[in-house]
Amino acid sequence: MQKLYTIVSSLKLGVLFFLISFFVPTSFGDSYFDAGQSSIRLISESYQIDAEDTLLVGLEIKLNSSWHTYWKNPGDSGEGATIKWDLPEGFEASNILWPGPERIPVDPLMTYGYEDQVILLTKIKSPQDFSDTLTISAKVTWLTCKEICIPQEGKVDLILSKGPKEKSKFYKKLNDVSTSLPIPSLQSSRVVVINNKIFLQFEDLRPKDLSEVYFFPNDYGVISYVKEQKLEKNNKSLSLELSPAEIQIETNKLRGVLKIKTPTKEEFYEVDLPLGNGAKSSELSMSLLTGIFFAFLGGIILNAMPCVFPILSIKILGFIEQSRGSRRKLLHHGLIFSAGVLTTFLIISSLLISLRASGEAIGWGYQLQSPWVVSTLIYLFVAIGIIFMGNIVLGSRLASIGVLGQGRKDLMSSFFTGVLAVIVASPCTAPFMGPALGLALLQPGFKSIAIFLALGIGFSIPYLLLSIFPQFLSKLPKPGEWMQTLKQIMAFPMWASALWLAWVLSAQVEIQTVFEVLIGALLIALTFWMLDKTQGSSIPVKRLTLALSLGLISVSFWLLPLNASEQTFKPMEATNSFSLEKLNSLRIEERPVFVNFTADWCITCKVNEAIALDQQEVKDLINKKGIVYLKADWTRKDSEIANILAEYGRTGVPLYLLFPSKGDPIILPELLTEETLLAFLNEIN
Amino acid sequence: MKKIISLILLLFINFNFASIATDSSAPSFELLNSYGKKISLDNFTGKTIILEWTNHDCPFVAKHYATGNMQSTQKQAKDQNVIWLTIISSAPGTQGYVLPEKANELSSSRDALPNHVLFDPDGNVGRMYGAKTTPHMYIIDKKGLLRYQGAIDDAGGKGFWTKNLFEADNHVKDALSKLQKGEEITTKVSKPYGCSVKYKG
Repeated sequence: MQKLYTIVSSLKLGVLFFLISFFVPTSFGDSYFDAGQSSIRLISESYQIDAEDTLLVGLEIKLNSSWHTYWKNPGDSGEGATIKWDLPEGFEASNILWPGPERIPVDPLMTYGYEDQVILLTKIKSPQDFSDTLTISAKVTWLTCKEICIPQEGKVDLILSKGPKEKSKFYKKLNDVSTSLPIPSLQSSRVVVINNKIFLQFEDLRPKDLSEVYFFPNDYGVISYVKEQKLEKNNKSLSLELSPAEIQIETNKLRGVLKIKTPTKEEFYEVDLPLGNGAKSSELSMSLLTGIFFAFLGGIILNAMPCVFPILSIKILGFIEQSRGSRRKLLHHGLIFSAGVLTTFLIISSLLISLRASGEAIGWGYQLQSPWVVSTLIYLFVAIGIIFMGNIVLGSRLASIGVLGQGRKDLMSSFFTGVLAVIVASPCTAPFMGPALGLALLQPGFKSIAIFLALGIGFSIPYLLLSIFPQFLSKLPKPGEWMQTLKQIMAFPMWASALWLAWVLSAQVEIQTVFEVLIGALLIALTFWMLDKTQGSSIPVKRLTLALSLGLISVSFWLLPLNASEQTFKPMEATNSFSLEKLNSLRIEERPVFVNFTADWCITCKVNEAIALDQQEVKDLINKKGIVYLKADWTRKDSEIANILAEYGRTGVPLYLLFPSKGDPIILPELLTEETLLAFLNEIN
Repeated sequence: MKKIISLILLLFINFNFASIATDSSAPSFELLNSYGKKISLDNFTGKTIILEWTNHDCPFVAKHYATGNMQSTQKQAKDQNVIWLTIISSAPGTQGYVLPEKANELSSSRDALPNHVLFDPDGNVGRMYGAKTTPHMYIIDKKGLLRYQGAIDDAGGKGFWTKNLFEADNHVKDALSKLQKGEEITTKVSKPYGCSVKYKG
């Protein structure tokens, strides 16, 4: 085909276009025209038409295998077909009724169109008077593309006679296409722009087994064709995250076709919504810079958290001892440590981003919902405690795998301390971190990484400053026996953290499993004690110890619980935080209550908060009516909240319950707007 | 240490398809022209520059050249002392990829008036500018700011193949005239239309 095309294109092009424009090949009798890579024909639901009637006519384009033609908006390149009708007097043709398209990616671009074949429908209206037989013809221009594009043009006719409609053999085919056309109205839906992202949200009552949801925009310059669209599935609504177009053209409308695919069928809906700006809420309107600043502050504070503090304090003392006298070496350690921290944060953030991209609704702290992770952290904290008690230098074993000189070994050790510090910090959330990380997850990839890096820089800066200005530490007594003692003391906060994690674990799994993990922790303790004890021994003894240690470690890992189950985790206490007890006592007092079931990683929840709940008018009305506002935070899954959600047939957030002072609660829609919320609030006594 | 820093920085570089906001500065690049000479955007500091993405076998491009519409736009550019750079981002083996001799032959046989025909077989410059279609046009003003990007005219869409291109609104000619008169460009962005640029996969 390529060859043929080359021959054609090497003809004098002017002549070619002259031909295309004026000489239109006509089909023979059966309304069929073959253009080489594709062919067209006109088919009709009936070959008789009455006066003042409407006839459904289809232009069928058949394409050779792997060729495609385009939708009305072709995407980044290409062109949809055009039909120029030649109709008897008084007849009228509608615009083309386009079936829902498919995505045809042409890396790095994205186009929208049809592969194999498509039927473009047109409705033909007849007048009161016309002759007994008539011919309607369509001059069609369309583009057929594979890697290359070929403009094609042809004319096809349809011969009809006057009379009552009779179903032709194409009737079913055309009606099937007609019923699969985009449905004009989408269930309750809206578009919100937040942080330069466009969220298309709509109610959908079907089960959550949708395999694909995609929005095909009608217009250029609104959303990016090529960027991925992220779907968030809620109980009864969906939220599709769209990226703005690379080059934007001002508009106040989002128009297009939404494709919803279930395992059994595909549906298309017309979308025509005002493109409003989301109202501001404190959290969501935070700018990227504020987010970065908060993350930085949060990072600094993270150092003082009980899970991190011991490690860092020990390490600072450690390297001051190691690099006594040499400021240069000290600085090197500081920088390498920071690199370790930043690398780990980068890995974590890329992981979060890719998980989110694959549709998981997650945030910081998510890892603690897995008993496996919690148990591994228990082992880690126990091991660190034992190391503090003994004389093993952190990370040196890992570093000694490579053939590194002593100086390098120390540096590697600093790097791994950085990695370790971030890992042990993962169960902790410091003030300021929450909103910043919430913002991070709503940002496109690189901005999100910027926020995580700011967190990492904040986290490592105190350490880095100390390595640049060691004089801050000069007040400390000279290194000596006291450091050993301090190190040993620091083992206790580590073990305390392990205990706390065991308590967390006990809420996730059976008590027997917790016991197994504790046995595993004991084995880990034994292993590290042995390694410490035999450090100075002869090679055979060392080898024996190593073999034993490997055995013990394998056993302890075999004891890890692998099956995930739901977790109880007390949400942070706040004045309006939700508890069943609180709700019950308020109910007894006959106070009206509004409960907001939400989570940090739930974008629909955040949007609802931004455009409805946090609006001043709503707050005023809640105060005026004496409604008690309770926030049930499901960021870290909580069984008490999960039970209530289940009670109302939900498996997740958002859920809004409005309890009048007496009687059953009202369940509010999942997509709140300020008006609907005010109406509901006004309704109750 | 240096290595680590550059690795971290590397993660920030967006390898994806980029684009440049209108009225922001146009990034420089260096490509070989059809005479094997390295041509940089910096060679033309202080001059207005037009970038034209092309693929002579693309029917959209072919129509613009066959009708003389592209040449007439090039003529106006030349009269205004504007530099015209025709860029081919087709990867070797794809449609529109040509050897230098063929490119020169195309220029002379079509009476095209580019100052240079540049080869971008890796597609780096095309991706940097977000060139999507052939033709896709960009105008960079004397200060080095991108002042127009999009289609050559408004003929794209319905009925393109039967339209007389000289009756269409030529966005490039219009922008050039406005730039010369020091007036505000009315259409700064338009939807590019045509074949997809045949980038290296």
